[in-house]
Amino acid sequence: MKSLLRYLFPLIGCMPVLVGCMKWDYGTIEEFSATSNGLFIVNEGNFQYGNATLSYYDPSTKSVENEIFYRANGMKLGDVAQSMTIRDGIGWVVVNNSHVIFAIDIHTFKEVGRITNLTSPRYIHFLSDEKAYVTQLWDNRIFIVNPKRYEITGYIECPGMTMESGSTEQMVQYGRYLFVNGWSYQNRILKIDTETDQVVDQLEVGIQPISLVMDRNQKLWTITDGGYEGSPYGYEAPSLYRIDPETFTVEKQFRFRLGDTPSELQINGTGDKIYWINQDIWQMSIDEDRLPVKPFIAYRDTKFYGLTVDPRNEEIYVADAIDYQQQGVVYRYSSTGETIDQFYVGITPGAFCWK
Amino acid sequence: MKKPLLLTGLILLLLPITLAAQGTDSTTNSSTPSDWQRKGISIRKIFVWGRRPMKQIGVEETRLDSAVLKENIALSIADVLTFNSSLFVKQYGRATLSTVSFRGTGPSHTQVTWNGMKINNPMLGMTDFSMIPTYFIDDASLLHGTSSVNKTGGGLGGLVQLATQPAKANGFGLQYVQGIGMFKTFDEFLRLTWGNDHWQVSTRAVLQSSANDFKYRNHDKKENIYDENKQIIGSYYPIERNKSGAFRDLHLLQEVYYNTGKGDRFGLNAWYLDSNRELPLLTTDYADDTDFENRQREHTLRSILSWDHLRRNWKTSIKAGYIHTWMAYDYKRDPGNGIMTSMTRSRSKIDTFYGEAEGEYTPNDRWLFTVDLSAHQQMVESADKNIILQQGNQAIVGYDQSRIELSASVSAKWRPMERMGISMIMRGEMYGTQWAPIPALFADYLLSKRGNIVAKASISRNYRFPTLNDLYFLPGGNPDLKSESGFSYEAGISFSVGKENRYTLSGSASWYEQHINDWILWLPTTKGFFSPVNVKKVHAYGTELQATLATILSPEWKLELNGTFSWAPSINESEPMSPADQSVGKQLPYEPEFSATTTGRLTFRTWSLLYQWCYYSERYTMSSNDATLTGRLTPYFMNNLSLEKKFFARWADFSLKGTVNNLFNEDYLSVLSRPMPGINVEFFIGITPHWGK
Repeated sequence: MKSLLRYLFPLIGCMPVLVGCMKWDYGTIEEFSATSNGLFIVNEGNFQYGNATLSYYDPSTKSVENEIFYRANGMKLGDVAQSMTIRDGIGWVVVNNSHVIFAIDIHTFKEVGRITNLTSPRYIHFLSDEKAYVTQLWDNRIFIVNPKRYEITGYIECPGMTMESGSTEQMVQYGRYLFVNGWSYQNRILKIDTETDQVVDQLEVGIQPISLVMDRNQKLWTITDGGYEGSPYGYEAPSLYRIDPETFTVEKQFRFRLGDTPSELQINGTGDKIYWINQDIWQMSIDEDRLPVKPFIAYRDTKFYGLTVDPRNEEIYVADAIDYQQQGVVYRYSSTGETIDQFYVGITPGAFCWK
Repeated sequence: MKKPLLLTGLILLLLPITLAAQGTDSTTNSSTPSDWQRKGISIRKIFVWGRRPMKQIGVEETRLDSAVLKENIALSIADVLTFNSSLFVKQYGRATLSTVSFRGTGPSHTQVTWNGMKINNPMLGMTDFSMIPTYFIDDASLLHGTSSVNKTGGGLGGLVQLATQPAKANGFGLQYVQGIGMFKTFDEFLRLTWGNDHWQVSTRAVLQSSANDFKYRNHDKKENIYDENKQIIGSYYPIERNKSGAFRDLHLLQEVYYNTGKGDRFGLNAWYLDSNRELPLLTTDYADDTDFENRQREHTLRSILSWDHLRRNWKTSIKAGYIHTWMAYDYKRDPGNGIMTSMTRSRSKIDTFYGEAEGEYTPNDRWLFTVDLSAHQQMVESADKNIILQQGNQAIVGYDQSRIELSASVSAKWRPMERMGISMIMRGEMYGTQWAPIPALFADYLLSKRGNIVAKASISRNYRFPTLNDLYFLPGGNPDLKSESGFSYEAGISFSVGKENRYTLSGSASWYEQHINDWILWLPTTKGFFSPVNVKKVHAYGTELQATLATILSPEWKLELNGTFSWAPSINESEPMSPADQSVGKQLPYEPEFSATTTGRLTFRTWSLLYQWCYYSERYTMSSNDATLTGRLTPYFMNNLSLEKKFFARWADFSLKGTVNNLFNEDYLSVLSRPMPGINVEFFIGITPHWGK
């Protein structure tokens, strides 16, 4: 027994060795100076995991920097980064499930301010230095904010929505009016008077208009996803619509096939070509009368999730989310569809923002 | 000097592989003063492997006896498994969702039964172990991998069997324990028992509540310091409280057993759960928690009627059960008028009717035949969202589906010679109209009687059917999903040695290999919701080691060391999902490759000191196994310590206990963005009156 004790007591004494000493690694804050005309890539991350990130790509050097928000600020961007908008050298990154919009210097990527306590922010649109609108999911209001003071200053009530069914998305301005597409369980484009902050009109389109852009002829374009099979709201073939904002009527409707999943409607810098994802990448002149029959860039076992067009040279950038659990990849194509570059970014790259 | 050092080193190396007892008798564990004064402290009997029960042929099982389960009655089964098994317990925070997975598989690959009835959520497939208090479980065992086929199908990882047992009361009995802990935590435990030769009646109640507002350093956020022009002039990592994390759980368990004394036993078990939990804010959330409410409520009744009929060489058992679950999830915010308004109002109702008949026949000591037929009728109503239709009227997004789940098995267990056993099981399962055969073969061989060294091996084919959410959830349910299927085989060796009332030492090592096809994964769609698809092919393999040592140091001192170690690669062997896919050949996310646990229990007279330690290696959060700055879950160690003192009076027994969790105040995460508490303390006082004794 004595010999047993001789071994057991040192053993008990050694137990604390097993505890280890865990030190939290904060990383180091890096100084950036990105002066080129680059591309921000907003990576959603995984819902509820707080692992959204921001990447920055310099097309001239073909170099990419990932996790720039964390590296420049020493903190996380948050949960589900949705979109980014630049105004006067400040980038506004909307982080949906963190209820926050971060304002960052677009050269140093350092935070300069934040707007908090938003319901479920999706996009921000600036009306002036001291006034912007923020659309929401799960809220029947569009928030009015003061970007200078980083404060919520008011709300625009949206008709026909409750908090639970509320959904407003992308915003396009035409004169004093702002047009907003509803999305989740919605079928309308809302027209807002930016002077009175009131919804003054609404236009029914198909089920779930998902994007909104304006072409060089001052025409609005929206694309619907058609809902899903079994939805009590309805399920139909998606459509692409051209809308005259002046008369607020549908001028053209282009129907897809039932089961198609068009998304991410984009427009080039000159405003004469639109692009979207429908498994493949599609391109169409704004003057066409029918949908193209051949894709611009063919699907090749990719999960195309994000799309943008360089406003300067019409190069196309397509994000592939792969399995949504690893770094996504962005493919860069020339304006004629040839591959130029590809680079890894963050998890689920969903939105882009040109500097 | 060299020799002791070497031996100490060897023991240290073995420490992580020491283990929870297998087949031990726990009744000798709790000592009364008369026990230790009369005969000193006794240790658990060792199991004689040579007469291994026929049912155990080739089976890889970890038993958690009542001593382990009752070490800290305030814990959930999730906490017990964390420190006493090789399973991976993924905790989303204190008193929040805790899932359990075996051998690099997923939480829905772990089947869970309570007194034989499956309690996996039929909508999700998984079980929340944080909702199962150890106070209600008298016997728990883990059937690893192929061994689960003995009891059920679908356990691609394994099976957790939870059971209650008759109280063995003679007359009236009462136990009351109260716990008070940090973060305004209050725990109440009450058990009333009554029994005689035929009847055993027990009522148990657990009420646990906590503000759960522990402080932690938020490493994911920075608080800014502004000047009067709203310019940032500084920032720091704030110390925050766990916001919106309060909970109140009430559990009631009623048991009635009647034993005729002539081979028949009737039982009734009814367990009612009323849970009301807030869901804590993520570390990356910038909402004002007073403006938002994020709450989950659950009412569940699980009830079973059973009849066991035992005869000399055969027995039958019939069970009937019913589960009703009502779950609510509410996400609300105050839009500024002081009224919390619903943003998401999700309700689901599950009714499960259960029936099972089992039979065993032992014609002689070489053969055992079993037959089993069980049915679970699942009925689910899920209402996930209220919307306004295009016509202006309101509608609910959800589904209403039923499914019958049948499982039947026959088995023959044969011991042709004393040292050797062979067992063959043929199970068939039918979920709805889908059918799957689940065969398994087991063998063991006693290599040495002296060290009770037994070698064992098994092989099985298993299937897991999609859950009702996988098939029907709106939006996203995929009715075309295939079942996940797995082919697995394993081999192991175990030993046990000991000397009566001196020491026991036992251990086991096993190696396993498993291929799972058509692994179901929920992936986002371009329409903004998730949808399940059969995408992955996974190769899980590895080693599990377990060992235990119990020794009497002196007539008044006893020491027990238990531990586990697991090496569990779980590799994605699917075809690339895209040309740029970097996940092929990589460890699955959120599956640790290495884990280990150790428990040390030192008993002196009526004092008891318990030390628990566990370790998880890094869990990747990305399928490509990239270690990014924002997605790392570094390895962590966790240490708990408790000290208990028992007092004995003529009319009652008392106990005082203090526990320290996260002893070294480690900053750690189990899941990204989910805060975990630092060091925290809870005190318990217990009383057990001697009524009529």
